[in-house]
Amino acid sequence: MSGAASASAIAAAVRSGKRSAKDVVRETLDKIRLEDGVINAFTAVRQEGALADAAAVDEAYAAGRDPGPLAGAPFAVKNLYDIAGLATIAGSRIDRDRPPASRDAALVRRLRAAGAILVGALNMDEYAFGFSTENTHYGPTRNPHDRTRIAGGSSGGSAAAVAASLIPLSLGSDTNGSIRVPAALTGIFGLRPTYGRLSRAGMRLFAASIDVGGPLARSVADLAIAYDTLQGPDPEDPACAQRPPEPISHLLGRGLDGVRIAVAEGYFASQGAAEVFAAVERFAAALGTSRRIELPAPAVARGAAMIVTSVEGAELHLDDLKARAADFDPKTRARFLAGALAPGAWYSHAQRLRRWYCQAMSEVFKTTDVILAPTTPYAAFPIGQIWTEIGGAKLPVAGHLGVFTQPLSFAGLPTISAPAAPSGSLPLGIQIVAAPWREDLIFRVAAAAESLGAAQSHAPAP
Amino acid sequence: MAEPFEPAQYVPQAAGSVGLTIAPEDLADVISAFSVLARVAAQVMAATLPEDIVAAAVFAPDSGETQ
Repeated sequence: MSGAASASAIAAAVRSGKRSAKDVVRETLDKIRLEDGVINAFTAVRQEGALADAAAVDEAYAAGRDPGPLAGAPFAVKNLYDIAGLATIAGSRIDRDRPPASRDAALVRRLRAAGAILVGALNMDEYAFGFSTENTHYGPTRNPHDRTRIAGGSSGGSAAAVAASLIPLSLGSDTNGSIRVPAALTGIFGLRPTYGRLSRAGMRLFAASIDVGGPLARSVADLAIAYDTLQGPDPEDPACAQRPPEPISHLLGRGLDGVRIAVAEGYFASQGAAEVFAAVERFAAALGTSRRIELPAPAVARGAAMIVTSVEGAELHLDDLKARAADFDPKTRARFLAGALAPGAWYSHAQRLRRWYCQAMSEVFKTTDVILAPTTPYAAFPIGQIWTEIGGAKLPVAGHLGVFTQPLSFAGLPTISAPAAPSGSLPLGIQIVAAPWREDLIFRVAAAAESLGAAQSHAPAP
Repeated sequence: MAEPFEPAQYVPQAAGSVGLTIAPEDLADVISAFSVLARVAAQVMAATLPEDIVAAAVFAPDSGETQ
């Protein structure tokens, strides 16, 4: 029992004294050592620290103290999360020069306080500016389902480590799809919470007005227990809402009664491979859903998200772009430089458009509770591929991965990417989307889909 | 009527305005990336908005208000 077991099962075993946390962590570290050389999900492994934390969990249990709801469950985080004692590299060469973090990021602290064991840091696109985790400095993260293909990004290491059963749980971050895209391409669940729901204190941000952190896991139950653990206000993140935790784990069995579900059509039913839209249809049919809905101006919303992202990201890194542009990953350098040159009117208009778009989406949620849409326009592509063709148009194959995720995150909507039941050799994901702060609804739908077999995380072929 | 926009002319000029020096070997890629942004921006800027739609200082997805 280690990476292949769920976080919930590990915690139950440790909390009942059937397994020691130290044994679980030893097995996990062995598995990472033996199997991650090919996958390349990890950029740092916390060997001694993880074993010490596991020993503390075992001591708590032995002393009759509650070791926490995630006792002994190994997890790892995208390497833009602060980990005390390590430099927070955010996929870059430049940030290797920064001093080690003095303490863990807020979300890391919350998982560790619940007894989960931090085992390492995970690969990503440089500064989260990408969808493929083909990182020039640290190498590409490979998809456990086909190691010649990408794992998605930018939280590619976070997804691949969970999909390969190296660990049961990870944290990623999502600006335009960076949790949802890799979760979809590796066949696991990923949560993008409502903007402002979870603290980002101690995370190296990319585009602060869009960024969120969130968990990835192989089951809805694990995703839920992590989400419940991560909630709560934090004055150290100015965007974190002053809302008390709203736990959802106890709602997972509540079913779909009263939940109005519709499939996004138009924009969300074009610009992709036929198998993607067929997967959405099968998923909707399993849930008994035939309603269709047209969302307002998704193409314009996506464009505005691209402008906001480019400008905020470039401004954040402007000093390094001036002083040492050559040290940026060639895959991000030109896009960061271009973002630094955008006229102010573009940015201001994009942010105003965002307010209009949120209001338009609010109208949608007056008659619909949950929207279903594909997560990506196609399955994982081979590492190194640059272009693709959709409907006769030549498109950048990595950039186009965000076509269905970007419009939804621009409105700050909570979304779970759920793995569609296997129909081909490569995984695909379905976005389950609700109004702001209604994570309860997307968890209920994801749990129902999982119990019906419509959503299913499946192990890669050996 | 506005002059046709030429990213190849704009990029090197604008770089100086924010103190950036773009290496010659990067220039073509930056112009290409900026051209993509400019195409996207044209679509975004074409969307007219009421004057009372304001950007939020801190983005809150459900309030529609500046915080």
